[in-house]
Amino acid sequence: MASRRRVLLKVIILGDSGVGKTSLMNQYVNRKFSNQYKATIGADFLTKEVQFEDRIFTLQIWDTAGQERFQSLGVAFYRGADCCVLVYDVNVAKSFDNLNNWREEFLIQASPPDPENFPFVVLGNKIDVDGGNSRVVSEKKAKAWCASKGNIPYFETSAKEGFNVEAAFECIAKNALKNEPEEELYLPDAIDMAGGQQQRSAGCEC
Amino acid sequence: MTSDSNSSSSDSSSGRDDRNPDSGSEPDPNPESIDQSLDAIENQLASISMASRSPTATLDDDEEEEEDQSAEQLTIGNGSVEEEIGVAGAIDSIEDEHIVDNNNIRAELPGVIAESPSFEWKNISEGDEVERPLSPNSSGYAGERGSTSGGDDVNDDEEDTEIRVVENDGVSGSHEQWVSGKRYPDEDDASVSWRKRKKHFFILSHSGKPIYSRYGDEYKLAGFSATLQAIISFVENGGDRVKLVKAGKHQVIFLVKGPIYLVCISCTEEPYESLKGQLELLYGQMILILTKSVNRCFEKNPKFDMTSLLGGTEAVFSSLIHSFNWNPATFLHAYSCFPMAYATRQAAGAILQDVAGSGVLFSLLMCKHKVISLVGAQKASLHPDDLLILSNFIMSSESFRTSESFSPICLPRYNAMAFLYAYVHYFDIDTYLILLSTSPDAFFHLKDSRIRIETVLVNSNVLGEVQRSLVDGGLHIEDLLMDPGSRAGANSSHLGQPRPAADSSGRITDGFVGIGGPAGLWHFIYKSNYLDQYVSSEFSSPINSLRQQKRLYRAYQRLYASMHDNGTGPHKTQFRRDENYVLLCWVTQDFELYAAFDPLADKALAIKICNRVCQWVKDVENEIFLLGASPFSW
Repeated sequence: MASRRRVLLKVIILGDSGVGKTSLMNQYVNRKFSNQYKATIGADFLTKEVQFEDRIFTLQIWDTAGQERFQSLGVAFYRGADCCVLVYDVNVAKSFDNLNNWREEFLIQASPPDPENFPFVVLGNKIDVDGGNSRVVSEKKAKAWCASKGNIPYFETSAKEGFNVEAAFECIAKNALKNEPEEELYLPDAIDMAGGQQQRSAGCEC
Repeated sequence: MTSDSNSSSSDSSSGRDDRNPDSGSEPDPNPESIDQSLDAIENQLASISMASRSPTATLDDDEEEEEDQSAEQLTIGNGSVEEEIGVAGAIDSIEDEHIVDNNNIRAELPGVIAESPSFEWKNISEGDEVERPLSPNSSGYAGERGSTSGGDDVNDDEEDTEIRVVENDGVSGSHEQWVSGKRYPDEDDASVSWRKRKKHFFILSHSGKPIYSRYGDEYKLAGFSATLQAIISFVENGGDRVKLVKAGKHQVIFLVKGPIYLVCISCTEEPYESLKGQLELLYGQMILILTKSVNRCFEKNPKFDMTSLLGGTEAVFSSLIHSFNWNPATFLHAYSCFPMAYATRQAAGAILQDVAGSGVLFSLLMCKHKVISLVGAQKASLHPDDLLILSNFIMSSESFRTSESFSPICLPRYNAMAFLYAYVHYFDIDTYLILLSTSPDAFFHLKDSRIRIETVLVNSNVLGEVQRSLVDGGLHIEDLLMDPGSRAGANSSHLGQPRPAADSSGRITDGFVGIGGPAGLWHFIYKSNYLDQYVSSEFSSPINSLRQQKRLYRAYQRLYASMHDNGTGPHKTQFRRDENYVLLCWVTQDFELYAAFDPLADKALAIKICNRVCQWVKDVENEIFLLGASPFSW
């Protein structure tokens, strides 16, 4: 209940384990990177405030665990998401192939009102590894897939170098915002006194 | 219409003192079967760690502000508890006033907003790469720096800048001095001070979006809010429901109301049933402002952000939460009546009855939280809980005081889906009239009714009587004599009379500071089950301070919960002696009596006194209760 109108955006990060979801978060929110790998358990929750065109946005970032055993958490986590970020590792073909599964899984579980236009963003991470020599998924291939899924915005990032991370999240927030529904009129029922619409009254009715 | 139109409160004052009306619903106890779910949570969501170790300072649990200060570190959802423990002892008391100008965290945010009209993305935390995240992650981020280190910093800062102002020792404090509205708005879950607060209340949506937090900024608590949703939804997914999590001294109580989740995190040692009842009232307060139709918004759009609909109502919630400390109506589920002469109340009731015939659903004449008179249209009944949240809404919204108002409100127990329209008018600073109609066009009609009512009230001097009675108070235990035979006739059993300076046993009653009743009687509450009303004796020595009063109410609350525990009850009587009081409770079909005595009081004598109290209440019942014509008894 802030005095000035603020917007909260729920952003879900999905992708295979080890593609760098947590590192991207950490780079974006805390500007830190570590080579050490720690698997996320369940989910981590971060908030980041950003300002855009005079408005304050709070990104509520749900950094989920990539391991399959956590997938049962899906429904609970995805509900009411404003944007979904799909992450893969440009050096691991499987993680790219799985994007399709992640996307579909999300749409099934979150069941957004307008799945065709639900805002996704795809990030190809770890472009710094081995100077790009170990890369197996080309930018072209990734962009083609994104185009086929309704022009999902695509970013190549390096959580380690901090490359493109800021830009990617800016796009994420913008997209989430675009999807913001029109403010609806809020109209409760009317009471018809004669009709006796009254609900059970829990008081003493002796 | 959204709640915007209800002149709601942005800041109001007045916690108000008294004890009163509210209602009869049931605290249903069932803190069961979370164990499995708990295990599951612990195993699977290990990063959301619920820990409350580190009992550090042990604060007295009675100060008015004391919920703001937690004796323990609250570490829900922080990955690295250990580090926290190290610093937890550093602050043992955080008072209202001084956190205010300390770290730059709070200064920073508004600054950026104000000064940069940029159309660029701007990280608000820019230039703050140091160790202090503006918006911390809430759940112990598994990454390199969790919010933990941020917490350390804040802690240090606070230690440096903190001045311990000890005020409000409560000796003569009154609830009216309580400052309403959000306190500590700049805290978040990385703030040590926030973690130390004794009693948190949260409202969030089923997608994890924050709606209300008692302390701190809802948006900065978005991560914490997500953590809460994850826990609730995870358990829900397993076809189960999480009701209570115990973590050391902390209890985490969950209440799910469709798409709305309510959570209380408390280390006040109040019973589960009481805290759950408080969450129910908090939910009711929200429904009063918005109606339950708000659920439809979530059906259409699960990511619906409700905060804007509640704009400006913070004082309403904080005032309600504050009343959990001092208003027994919040756990008795009964309302209290303003003490006054029978004839005067009759006069007020007659004119209210008069307008009730003409399309007014309910007419209420109130003094603070107490009912002077109340009339409902035929077959309409008003639940004491609805009365409680309605009067809280009106009294906590400053704008009602300044002019006559017309506002949509919903009485959840009457019809949770629809708005009623409340015409509110203050006759003086304490006394106000509420006229409820089902018609949004009723303003002028209700205004005319008010003018008629006001004329009668002025002519029959009801308002003057109210002011006089405010000074005299209600039942003074000093007036309860050891020997009923020596009672000074009508004088002591009559509330409408000015109180004699000395009662007939020769003791001096010094103004408002009583000296206690016979046989060590300190205080009592009598609830009439038939009327859904209760009466509470005026406080007297030694229960003088707010702190003592709050402690006594907490004791009553525990007593109430234990008497109404479905598992072991229902009980008829209870006699309990501890280092603070002798508490005696007596529950019959017709009434419930809660009495507090000196801890050294004699048991047989105490029982005798309780009988006397009941007789006394009966003797003066037409002055302390609203009899007959009560819509509650229809």
